[in-house]
Amino acid sequence: MIALASIRDLTVTYRRDGNEVAALKTINLDIGAGERLAIIGESGSGKSTLALAIAGLLPASSRIEGRLDWFLPSSPSSGAKAPPSVLPDISPPRGEITPSFRLSPITEIASKELPSKLPISPLAGEMSGRTEGGGTDRQPKFVPLGGRDIGFVFQDPSASLDPVMAVGKQIAEVAYTHLGLTWPQAYAKAKSLLERVRLPDPDSALRAFPHQLSGGQKQRVAIAAAIAAGPKLLIADEATSALDTIVQAEIVALIRRLVAEDGMTLLFISHDIALAAELAERIAVFRHGELLELGPTAQIVDAPTQAYTRTLLDAHIGLDATPLLNRAGLNA
Amino acid sequence: MNLLTVSNLTKRYRRGGKTIAAVDDISFHIEPGETLALAGPSGSGKSTIARLVLRLIEPDAGHIEFEGNDFLALSGAALRQRRARLQMVFQDPLAAFNPRSTVARLLDDPLRIHGIAARAERPRRIAALLERVGLAADLAPRAIHEISGGQRQRVAIARAIATKPSLIVLDEAVSALDVSVRGQILELLLDLQRQERIAYLFISHDLGVVRAIAHRVVLLEAGEIAECGDARTVIDAPQSAIGKALVAAAPRLNRTRP
Ligand SMILES: Nc1ncnc2c1ncn2[C@@H]1O[C@H](COP(=O)(O)OP(=O)(O)OP(=O)(O)O)[C@@H](O)[C@H]1O
Ligand SMILES: [Mg+2]
Repeated sequence: MIALASIRDLTVTYRRDGNEVAALKTINLDIGAGERLAIIGESGSGKSTLALAIAGLLPASSRIEGRLDWFLPSSPSSGAKAPPSVLPDISPPRGEITPSFRLSPITEIASKELPSKLPISPLAGEMSGRTEGGGTDRQPKFVPLGGRDIGFVFQDPSASLDPVMAVGKQIAEVAYTHLGLTWPQAYAKAKSLLERVRLPDPDSALRAFPHQLSGGQKQRVAIAAAIAAGPKLLIADEATSALDTIVQAEIVALIRRLVAEDGMTLLFISHDIALAAELAERIAVFRHGELLELGPTAQIVDAPTQAYTRTLLDAHIGLDATPLLNRAGLNA
Repeated sequence: MNLLTVSNLTKRYRRGGKTIAAVDDISFHIEPGETLALAGPSGSGKSTIARLVLRLIEPDAGHIEFEGNDFLALSGAALRQRRARLQMVFQDPLAAFNPRSTVARLLDDPLRIHGIAARAERPRRIAALLERVGLAADLAPRAIHEISGGQRQRVAIARAIATKPSLIVLDEAVSALDVSVRGQILELLLDLQRQERIAYLFISHDLGVVRAIAHRVVLLEAGEIAECGDARTVIDAPQSAIGKALVAAAPRLNRTRP
């Protein structure tokens, strides 16, 4: 496996009401280039924190330890213009980033390729305060830029779409910002993306506002925006959880096709082990902020090493499950 | 005799100059102690039916008979009295309750409002209700935001059974729970059904869960009944296009060694 990213001893701590809560505890994980990796776990297991850490979207109030190395061919950042507006506003405004925030190893891989204005914290705040060379003898490496190198799709498509901007413009803006296209080119790209995500009537969809679309259609638009700049990595965080089963299956099929066509790496985050198993080649099981086990899907499903994984598998109620209902009980 | 009989129920909404029938001439019944599931894609009208049956909204047409009474004709004290027999549990127990409210307070309300127990007797009743849903009695003074999602759903169930209902409407009641908790809540519901002969109108878009706990199922599409019948018969071999699509879309865990 050729790694796209390598995570070493990653610990993320949130400060909440004066308390420190470890959301991730010394995680070690390699993400293979081009693989479909599922992260599964129940509420509070740290799945989303991992996604945010990888995307550099953790809030400034979190403490990050460990390191994250990327093995990406450096791509030109000259096309970058302004931050895309399609990323949900989960990062604090830049002004709020505390200057005293300790440099963590994860940020010491800052590179020269980075555009001077990173849209996303906390890396942005830390790195903008860093001087060239920074006293480290590490080779500058490529640091991916959210929106360009990493596409993000969240559970609630409304959160990642601007309610007062036509969806065509939202997608075009990503292409304009990151690909150095002209606006007409960016709009043409947006239209072809709406075709790729199979939105009916792409011409009128370009002019539609998010509230005029169904939940599934909005998620298609969010996916189109997420892949507009041709990211290497697509992170889908519970991207289908708010959708009904039929639409969920359609979106999963769409993600699978797009990832294959563009050679993207997929990080699929879900609480649903059956859904994850249908899509992913490898599954990582998280619980209470720890990575319990990681393996090929078939091994996790058929020969899990952890009792907890077995609990998750047994809790799945499939269409072939033995009914819980004692039918003789009715009218007894 | 049927516990609940719904006949030709219709509810229309106006949206952007157009009128849509969220529920379109729907009829079904539920027997005492039976679980009838409503399943179907998003927007098919499941929650609208739940709200109509609970009389949270009024229909444009149709009839609802509950425990032998014309339920839509009831009002005032008679409606309040009958409502005690028809309870509900929704998806997000936090949204339904004030998060600062205590567990004891939430269980005290129905006992007081429906005059089920005198003040002096209520703490004992509350402890019994907690025990009935598998919670420790010392949970009573805790605030609702201080307990886990699974515990909150148990409290919601305890609150629902406080008035000794014959029917509970459950709208996606287990959908937001972690899977390891979901199974326990389903077991609790089945146990209550066996012991107290409570009927459920169980709303879910998860056919696996429906097949596991419902006696019968009604599959909805665009406000109409696409198919109905014995839950296992329908889900194992759906006849309608929407039934086939729902079954095809359900995630499968292909374990060779279960
Ligand atoms: N208050 C309302 N005003 C206008 N339209 C409504 C209202 N409530 C529901 N609808 C519409 O009625 C239809 C049925 O909605 P309903 O909420 O009953 O569906 P559902 O089956 O519960 O869906 P879900 O699985 O998403 O919960 C939908 O088209 C919905 O948009
Ligand atoms: Mg609903």
